Amino acid sequence: MSRIRYFARETWTNIRRNLTLTFAAILTVAVGVMLVGMGLMAGYASGNALDRWEGGVQFEVFLNPQIDPSQLDALGIELQTHPEIDRIEFFSSEEAYGLVSQQMADQPELLAQVSPEALPASYRVVPRSVEAELIESLAAQFRQRPGVMSVQTGREEVDAIRTWFTSFQGIVLLLSIVLSGASVMLIFNSIRVAMFARRREIEVMKLVGATNSFIRFPFMLEGMLHGLIGGIIGAIAAGALRGHVEGLFSRSDILAFFRSFVVTSDQFTTVVIVTVIAGVLVGMIGSAFAASRFLDV
Amino acid sequence: MIRFDNVTKIYKGETRAVNGVTLNIEKGEFVFLVGPSGSGKSTMLRLMTCEEKVTAGDIHVAGKDLSKLNSWRVPYLRRNIGSVFQDFKLLPNKTVYQNVAFALEVIGRPENVIRTQVPAILELVGLEDKHRRFPDELSGGEQQRVSIARAFVNRPLILLADEPTGNLDPDTSEELTSLLDRINRTGTTVVMATHDRTIVDRMRRRVIALRQGELVRDEQRGAYGSETDSPEAPGVHPVDGASP
Repeated sequence: MSRIRYFARETWTNIRRNLTLTFAAILTVAVGVMLVGMGLMAGYASGNALDRWEGGVQFEVFLNPQIDPSQLDALGIELQTHPEIDRIEFFSSEEAYGLVSQQMADQPELLAQVSPEALPASYRVVPRSVEAELIESLAAQFRQRPGVMSVQTGREEVDAIRTWFTSFQGIVLLLSIVLSGASVMLIFNSIRVAMFARRREIEVMKLVGATNSFIRFPFMLEGMLHGLIGGIIGAIAAGALRGHVEGLFSRSDILAFFRSFVVTSDQFTTVVIVTVIAGVLVGMIGSAFAASRFLDV
Repeated sequence: MIRFDNVTKIYKGETRAVNGVTLNIEKGEFVFLVGPSGSGKSTMLRLMTCEEKVTAGDIHVAGKDLSKLNSWRVPYLRRNIGSVFQDFKLLPNKTVYQNVAFALEVIGRPENVIRTQVPAILELVGLEDKHRRFPDELSGGEQQRVSIARAFVNRPLILLADEPTGNLDPDTSEELTSLLDRINRTGTTVVMATHDRTIVDRMRRRVIALRQGELVRDEQRGAYGSETDSPEAPGVHPVDGASP
């Protein structure tokens, strides 16, 4: 009991004495681990979104505007009776124009450049299976049919988005490594300053036979506390960021595409745990480093 | 209790601070370590507490062979040794009571032990009325008594004092020495390094004299300077300008 009180008191005194450096250390940890959380969430969100598209993916067969009605019917029958295809939906040029005009409702000058005739009619095809290879082979098959202008699968988009998210995650990861390194150094320094401020106490402790681990413990605790507080702030910031970004996506029509980029609450729990642990780890590394370097007198 | 076998300590390959010293101090002895500055007194004390490692030879303290002692065991050795210094080494931001209690706290003694031991030791050193004072509110002699209380509160087997009266006036020095004497009578081995001729001559205890790291005299019931190394001899008197 006296030990716990001793450690609590010593740690608190250290933190209070050294407030500016402590703040700097905590804030750097917070930003660093927030980036860790951000990278993790970006990974989860893109994973979730891509899963959804890959799962419910469809492809679209665009038709030549000059297609014969007979070709159109033949194509429709072939698509409908194809064993690999679940269902199809026909969009005429006018319907396509209707969709586009909805999407461009707030950009009438842009919409004015588009005429219904310029938009190709299309079949939207939902295959029975969701395997990407199968969809690709179906797409390739129908690309050869007469009257077909082009076939678009979601593949390219999905790949592009995945690439984009991977590089985004890479950048965030790199930044978080840099900031975590800076946090370790800041905590190292703040513990060093704390130890220097207490060198008389440390001298007396050694004199009367306190063990090294006993002398180190309050300093390690202090470093871990910096990390923990930083980790918690970072986790809160990551949560706020998540809410803000998801709100942004759901309110804005331009960003409607991103609506499926969401993080489930289970995944967010993981993010919080990882973030806080990362903070504590950073604190432990910095303070253990300082304690082992500046205590062996 | 303390045994030196042909102990040599060389700092950084240059000076021989202690050179081939062999001696044996029994449990309960009171020993003066005398000699001019730089004669190796402090080094000998530092060797006993493992603050320094021997270059050659063996030291046994409280039944432990220090050259074979693991570094993690050093703190446990030090719990058996109280140390007192010329500059007191008190913590200025702690009260008298807190300074003494600190020594027990940091070796993990339970609170009820601290609450009984600290007042008892403060009474022994005669500071029970001043336990709430801070070190800078005390006289030099009182501060040194606090540091003796801190060194002795854990009832160590050995008390080492490195020129404890170096900063004090003669009367206060005498009081302090008699305090150390009382502690010695409880069975604690006391080793006191000193320049203080008056005290050594008056106490008539064992005197071990060092000169340039070598043991030059070891007398039961000795005096500061005797015929073998008179104060006039070069290098013995602390302020001897004629020493080579």
